[in-house]
Amino acid sequence: MVVADSKRMITAALIGNPNVGKTTLFNLLTGLNQHVGNWPGVTVEKKEGFINDNVKIVDLPGIYAMDTYSNEEKISKSFLESGDVDFILNIVDASNLHRNLYLTMQLKEFNIPIILILNMVDVAEKKGIKIDYENLSQLLGVMVVPIVASKGKGVDKIEELLSNGIFSKANHDNDIHYQNVVHFKSEAETYKYIEGILSQCLTYTSENTFTITERLDKILINKFLAYPIFIAIIYLIFQFTFSWVGQPLADLLDSFVNDWFVPHINILLSGANGWFKSLIVDGIIGGVGSVIVFLPVILALFLCISFLEDSGYMARVAFLMDKIIRKMGLSGKAFIPLIIGFGCNVPGVMSTRTLESEKDRKMTALLLPLMSCNARLPIYLVIAGALFKGHEAVVVASLYALGVIVAFFIGILFKNTIFKKDDEPFIIELPEYKLPELKSLALHTWEKGKGFLRKAGTIIFSVSIIVWLLSNFNFSGMTEIDKSFIAGIGRFISPVFIPLGFASWQNSVSLLTGIMAKEVVVGTMGVIYGGNLTKILPTVFTPISAISFLVFVLLYTPCISLIATMKKEYGSKMAMFSVAYQLVLAWLVSFIVYNGGSLILRIF
Amino acid sequence: MIINEGVVMMSVYDLKPGQTALVSGILGDEKLAKRLRALGANEGVKVRVKSFAPLGDPIIINFMGFDLAIRKRDAKNIVVKDII
Repeated sequence: MVVADSKRMITAALIGNPNVGKTTLFNLLTGLNQHVGNWPGVTVEKKEGFINDNVKIVDLPGIYAMDTYSNEEKISKSFLESGDVDFILNIVDASNLHRNLYLTMQLKEFNIPIILILNMVDVAEKKGIKIDYENLSQLLGVMVVPIVASKGKGVDKIEELLSNGIFSKANHDNDIHYQNVVHFKSEAETYKYIEGILSQCLTYTSENTFTITERLDKILINKFLAYPIFIAIIYLIFQFTFSWVGQPLADLLDSFVNDWFVPHINILLSGANGWFKSLIVDGIIGGVGSVIVFLPVILALFLCISFLEDSGYMARVAFLMDKIIRKMGLSGKAFIPLIIGFGCNVPGVMSTRTLESEKDRKMTALLLPLMSCNARLPIYLVIAGALFKGHEAVVVASLYALGVIVAFFIGILFKNTIFKKDDEPFIIELPEYKLPELKSLALHTWEKGKGFLRKAGTIIFSVSIIVWLLSNFNFSGMTEIDKSFIAGIGRFISPVFIPLGFASWQNSVSLLTGIMAKEVVVGTMGVIYGGNLTKILPTVFTPISAISFLVFVLLYTPCISLIATMKKEYGSKMAMFSVAYQLVLAWLVSFIVYNGGSLILRIF
Repeated sequence: MIINEGVVMMSVYDLKPGQTALVSGILGDEKLAKRLRALGANEGVKVRVKSFAPLGDPIIINFMGFDLAIRKRDAKNIVVKDII
């Protein structure tokens, strides 16, 4: 028999402290049936998943309490107050019930039925904690389900409870789940109450001894070993991403696109018009293809980051780096995205999501493009090779260093201007180490890849067509690049670069097309200057104007993939601001470098 | 040492790694104080300083059975008594 009420979608809010296995449970319950977005107005991830067709689970951010100040807490509170929530799935760490139940006590005040999910009961047992579930359920007035999410134990029980629809609004009355709501005057009073309950439900069979976490911490945050180990881990991640797995796969994909896909398309289009073929091959495949090949790199990098995140090491990184990065008003955790930025800014900006405060997220995302990514390296190498033969390493290293130094000062500037408000205190829990779940890692990584493909892909698709049109047409039809619209635009903007020492339409066009992807600058130069750049460039640049140009390349507007990512993560306003401030910054620093350098040369 | 209304008090900041004391209250920024209290740093709770970061700051403290990294500046606001 089908009851009308059971057809209604039931909404459950999944909520709990950070590091209690909330995400693991969410993934177990909903699998690939997830949707990730943002809560309106803030950059906090909103995850929704479905069980069958009748239960929707909303994964709320991990929080410790309801009554403090963060966006995460405000979101959770207003969602629970919205009236859309049929019941609460409150997941807690069974081995640390005292602290976890604080949130539970606050959740009870919303008068929504609660299923209390005791996760990691195996860990609790190992720690010598015995829990009387029956009694706990009675005393708290909630339903209690013990599980071990990492092993999938007990999860079927939750599914059963959810699919039976026992919590549809109609039968809320006269069940136990409304009982025992107590209003507390202070935190201390709440804890006293929790202590009172737990003293009746917990028995300790043995005293907690030296744990694996303590042993690992003795090494990983050791006074002398901590930083070498951190550097070694970062080195391994870069090796994994750029040498062992990510980049080789990207190269494979690249050669698939260029050596197999493009020739086949060429044959397929052999009868078509020249312009149409060029649009498909040079415009769309060339443009989208150059971005798609980033995908393996992004997936590889995110696999590593998810591993660090889930294992508990990331919290230690925040702890280790806090003192250094605090000067810019950021918390230690912001260090990771910045480091990733040296590989590729795109996953760097994507990983700012893992930062706790909105201010940290935005500021890190804005500073990230100043980290010199891999794509800029070919430009440095070509120009330095042409003008500073034998000193390439010094030039390249100086550019990387300049990016970091500029980021540091811009960070201090931002801290004292646009990000002045709400300086949140830094406290971070150092969770126990654990081996990450394979399924959870895979899902996490796939989520990032999918988002990148979908959102960035659509924007890049349209921009590729626009750039192709501009570089192949003028008012009288199809033409060579030096007579095209883009050359006209290049001539129009090149006066801007006169004070920087490298004004020519060719350079301007190279920089313009570099917005597609930074390494395109070199490709464009090759096309417009037509020939051996090592021979031609010294006739175009003086050493000092070449440096000025390189500085501009380092600092100017991010590539289209990054702008698209920025827009996806933080909205158009932030993306536009990023482009604008970096253009101004690049111009100013190049101006100082060029004119300062010329002055020094004149004096000596 | 903190001097509050003429009374000398001791804070978590004054403890050496390995030392344990009882929380007697939290001063300073109300946001932080509220958060720490919500985490269980209430009067009479045992708090232990576990270790310092390699650069000296932040420090790791333990109370209610979990580790928390906190900046020294903020640790000064956790007033303690009775070193155990």
